[in-house]
Amino acid sequence: MHIPDGFLSPPVWATLDVASAGGVAVVARRAHRESGNQNQIPLLGVMGAFVFAAQMINFPVGLGTSGHLVGGALLAIVLGPSAAAVVMTAILCVQAFVFQDGGIVVLGANVFNMALAGVAAGYLPYRMWSSPEGGARWRTVSIFSAGALSVLVSACLALAELLISGVKMPRHMLAVSLGLFAVSAILEGVITVAAIHAIERLQPVRALPGAPARVAGAIGVLAVLAAAFGILLASAAPDGIEHLAAQLGLAHTAAWAHAPLAGYDAGVPGPAWLRKAAAGFTGMLVIYVISLAAGRLLSRQRNA
Amino acid sequence: MHHVVVERWSRQSSPLHRRDARGKLGVLVAFLVAVSTTPPPAQLVFAGYGVMLLAAALASRLPLRGMIARAALVLPFSATFALLTWWAGDPVRALSLAEKSFLSGLAALLLIATTPIPRLLAALDSLHVPRTLVLVIQFLYRYLFVISEQAQHMRLAALSRSGRQRGQRPGLVSAFRAAAGAVGVLFARSWERAGGIYNAMLARGFRGQFTLAEPERFRAADALFLCAAVAMCVSIRLAL
Repeated sequence: MHIPDGFLSPPVWATLDVASAGGVAVVARRAHRESGNQNQIPLLGVMGAFVFAAQMINFPVGLGTSGHLVGGALLAIVLGPSAAAVVMTAILCVQAFVFQDGGIVVLGANVFNMALAGVAAGYLPYRMWSSPEGGARWRTVSIFSAGALSVLVSACLALAELLISGVKMPRHMLAVSLGLFAVSAILEGVITVAAIHAIERLQPVRALPGAPARVAGAIGVLAVLAAAFGILLASAAPDGIEHLAAQLGLAHTAAWAHAPLAGYDAGVPGPAWLRKAAAGFTGMLVIYVISLAAGRLLSRQRNA
Repeated sequence: MHHVVVERWSRQSSPLHRRDARGKLGVLVAFLVAVSTTPPPAQLVFAGYGVMLLAAALASRLPLRGMIARAALVLPFSATFALLTWWAGDPVRALSLAEKSFLSGLAALLLIATTPIPRLLAALDSLHVPRTLVLVIQFLYRYLFVISEQAQHMRLAALSRSGRQRGQRPGLVSAFRAAAGAVGVLFARSWERAGGIYNAMLARGFRGQFTLAEPERFRAADALFLCAAVAMCVSIRLAL
């Protein structure tokens, strides 16, 4: 679900832009470090192109309908979480800029939902449950959960952000959309399992060391599920944003993100329109400087 | 295909094509922020944004009808949520959602239709977007159409050999397996191709960065364009 521009309110997209800029800087650095040499860079780009193309292959699901791969979990399994997050971010950038699929100022939100949270949620069950010692059945379960959880988390986050931003939805439609999410999550799980098995017949997929941690994995997956549904339900409540902010301890962040862009109080003397403009530009500048500083800091660490 | 048309547009010439990509990116962000912060009942402001985009589209000398049709691709998604919002009893907000997403889509299209992708990526690189990400995007865009075409060929091959015989349809499970097999083969081929690409690049002296044939320069005209367009966004947002 790609959110287009115009749907999220400024505090929501500004917060997520900042979060994603930092997150992408971290995963880009890790992916660069893990690759050792630059061999990985063309590989990541071509894998992104592969996911684009694989999304055009239709999987029949009966009743005349068909689904397709989303790919976040598949990438996390074959490339590792950092590289997968970079590839998903690149895919979202190309979709937003080249195909107008997803917005530009809300790019941070889409990256957060699908490339960061989606990939992390997909990698969790695979990391915990899949290993050569665990047996083929657990491996299949882990791959299925990876696909399903990644789609479910992305979709819940996207809908929650829309609802927090004031997009309204009749109550019973919330249950309908949860049902749709569950169906697409199961579908992605099944497609990911089938695709990974097909890939493994042609070339080995990197295996994870160690024994499976079944109980810890189950707790982790349940926690992620509870968090995703919790955020969604909290955002659907009438006082969504306060509820959510209080629950996550985000009250300060939210207020900070709110102030320069929507509160229009930059402390600049002069007519109202000048103050508003100054506040808006200060907000944009702050986002840019934070991203830049994070990037500088991280690249300095990398070089050291 | 969609991209071929936009890519051809981006290589034409006009005052808007000649502007530095960083300046255009800055104007786009200012415009999108202005649209995003506009309250739903301010219909006059949305009309103002529309006029501004129209002027930019005329300055770009690109076919207006084709651009509007492409920007309308965003409408299925936004119409769905606009209808839900309408249904929940907020028609003004529903209308503004559709307007905002259409205007934003048209603005983004104007950038991409007047800026070749390599220039846009060089601009992102000079604005300190992580280089790993910029390089991955570059490779992704370069091989996107190659691998998509490969996928289409595989689909055609499967259809012409076994996919669907007259009068009888393949079982759901076997059709599903065939699709998974296609994904697997496509993956293995892409993986192999990536290795070949890397070796070819090393052989040609790749040092971890692409360079433009003619580097962008941020001229006085670009600064003027940036300031004027941003001022226009701000004044439409605040004055109307």
